[in-house]
Amino acid sequence: MRAVEAEELTRRYGALAALDGLTFALDEGRVLGVLGPNGAGKTTAIRMLTTILAPSSGRFAVAGIPGERERDIRARIGVLPESAGYPARESGEEYLAYHARLHGRSSAEARATARRLLGEVGLAERGRSLIQTYSRGMRQRLGIARALVNDPVVVFLDEPTLGLDPRGQRDVLQAVGRLASERGVTVLLSTHLLDEVEQVCTDVLILNRGRVAALGAVGDVVARAAAPRSARLRTDPGRCDDAVRVLRGLEAVGAAAAAPGGRPGEVAIELSTLLNTDAAAAAALAALLDAGVPVVEFSLEGGRLSDAFLEVVPA
Amino acid sequence: MSVWAVVAGRELADLWLRGRGFALLVAYSVLLSATTYLVATNQAINFIEQREAVGLTLQVAVAVGALLALLAAADAVSGERDRGSLETLLLAPVPRWQVLAGKGAAALSLWLAAFVVAVPYVWFLGHGIDLVAVPLAAGLAVGTMLALAFTGLGLAVSSAAATSRVSLAVCMLVLLALYVPTQFPVGATTGWAAELLQRFNPLTAGVHFLGRLVIDGRGAVEEASWLAAPLVFVVAAVAASVVAASRLRLTGVRE
Repeated sequence: MRAVEAEELTRRYGALAALDGLTFALDEGRVLGVLGPNGAGKTTAIRMLTTILAPSSGRFAVAGIPGERERDIRARIGVLPESAGYPARESGEEYLAYHARLHGRSSAEARATARRLLGEVGLAERGRSLIQTYSRGMRQRLGIARALVNDPVVVFLDEPTLGLDPRGQRDVLQAVGRLASERGVTVLLSTHLLDEVEQVCTDVLILNRGRVAALGAVGDVVARAAAPRSARLRTDPGRCDDAVRVLRGLEAVGAAAAAPGGRPGEVAIELSTLLNTDAAAAAALAALLDAGVPVVEFSLEGGRLSDAFLEVVPA
Repeated sequence: MSVWAVVAGRELADLWLRGRGFALLVAYSVLLSATTYLVATNQAINFIEQREAVGLTLQVAVAVGALLALLAAADAVSGERDRGSLETLLLAPVPRWQVLAGKGAAALSLWLAAFVVAVPYVWFLGHGIDLVAVPLAAGLAVGTMLALAFTGLGLAVSSAAATSRVSLAVCMLVLLALYVPTQFPVGATTGWAAELLQRFNPLTAGVHFLGRLVIDGRGAVEEASWLAAPLVFVVAAVAASVVAASRLRLTGVRE
C-alpha cells in the first residue's frame, strides 16, 4: 500500500512557485530522504503533506487518506516540524502527555504513553526535568517522541539534525532508523546530511528550486546521476610510468596520468564511457596485472549520494 | 474530557503555576488598593459620597479585569507562533475552535480572579451603607460580558497577527480607542450625541450601567438598554474568534 502519494502538488506565493508539480509515491515502511538546497521547497512539501499548508493545486494522500480530510490525516501522522519550539517551563513528560491527550488519550494513558516514549528516545531519566534544561539534541529527541504519541503510520521529520553536534546527529538518526526497523513506520526525512541519508534512507527525493531533480531508491539515483567515472591506482613508484602506459592503451580507459599532488606511485584514471563502470574497472585491473604492474590499491571515486546531489543540483 | 477542557487545563497551569498570572494579579491588586485608598480618604473628607466610592472602585475592577483578559488572549495564539510551538498544536487532530476556546477559558480566568480580588474592596467600601450585593452582582455581569468580548477580540487578533507584538499593539489600540470617551470632561458627556457615543461604545456603556445601578441607585431592568452595546460586542467578538479559528494558519494573515 502507498503510504504517501502526491500528484502535481504545487504551492505558489504570488508569481513565485515554492513547490512546482511535486509528484511521487512512497510505499509503506520505506524511509524517504528529502534533500535540496535552502529554498528548494522541502519544508513547503512537508507542510502541505502534513495539512499545515494548503496546496495551490495538485492532490495528495497520506496513509490512503485524501488531502481534503485534514483531521483524519493528522490523526495518522507524526510530525517533527523544522525549528519546533518547546514550552520551557514544562517537563518533557508533561509536554508529551499533553499532546497525547490532544490525540484522544485519557489522562492515565497519556502519562503512560509519555513515559514509554521518553524511554524509547533515551530521555527516561530526564522526563521530569524542565525542557529549558534540555540540550538541543534532547529537545529534538523529545520532538521525535512527540511525533509518536499517536502511534502514527507515517512520520515526517523536517531537519531533525539541524544545529546538532555529531553525537546529537548520530542519536537522532539512530532514533529515525529504529522508527522504520522496529515500528515499521514510513518516514519522510528532510535533511542536509547526505551521507546519513545514504545510511538511513531507502529512497531519496532531491528538490531544486521547487522542482523534482531526482527521485527513486538511493542506489538507483546514485547510479543514474553519479556513477563513478574515475578511479585511483596506487602502485610501486618505480612502475608508475609502466602503469600509465598500459592504461592508456586500453579501450576501457579514457585517460591516465600520475595523480597531480598525489603520493608517489599514485595514478589518476578516467574511465571510458564506452563500458559500464564495473567492466571498465575490471578491464583496467586485468591489464595491469597481466603486465606485471603491482597494484597496491585501486579505488573507484564518486558514486556517493553527495556526488549525485551535486550532479542534479547545479550551483 | 473534551479537547477545549484539555487545552484550558494546560493553559491554566501555564498561566497560574508557571506563568505571569500571579504577577498580573499582584499588579492589579496594588492598583485596586491605591484606588480604594484614594476614594476612601476622599470619602472621609466628604469629597465623594460613599456610593460613588463603591462605584468608582468597581468600575476600575471591571475595566482592568477585562484588560487582563484581553492581554492574555492577545498572546494566546501569536505567542505560540513566536515560540515556534503553533505548528505542533495545529497538527493535533482536533477542531481549532476548541483549541481557541480552551485558550479563551484560561484568559477569562484572569478576569474571574480579578473579580474575586475586588470583592473585599467593595465590601470594605460598601458594607456600611448596605451596598455590597448589588454592586458585586452587577460588576460580575458587566465585567464577564466585557471580559468575554475582549477575550474574543484578543483571540481573533492573535490568530491573524504574525507576532504577539503586533497582536498586543492592535488590541491595545482598540482598547485605548474604547477608553478615550471615559476621559472626556463632564461637559462633553452631556447631550444626545455624547449619550449616543456612550451607548455605542461597549466599554463606556457597561461602565455607565454600573454607575447608574451603584451610584444613582437605579434598577437593573430600567437601565438594561445600556447593556445592548456590550452584548453586541460579545456576540461580534466571539463570532470573530470562531471565524478566526476556522482560518487559523501557521503564519497568520501573511500566508
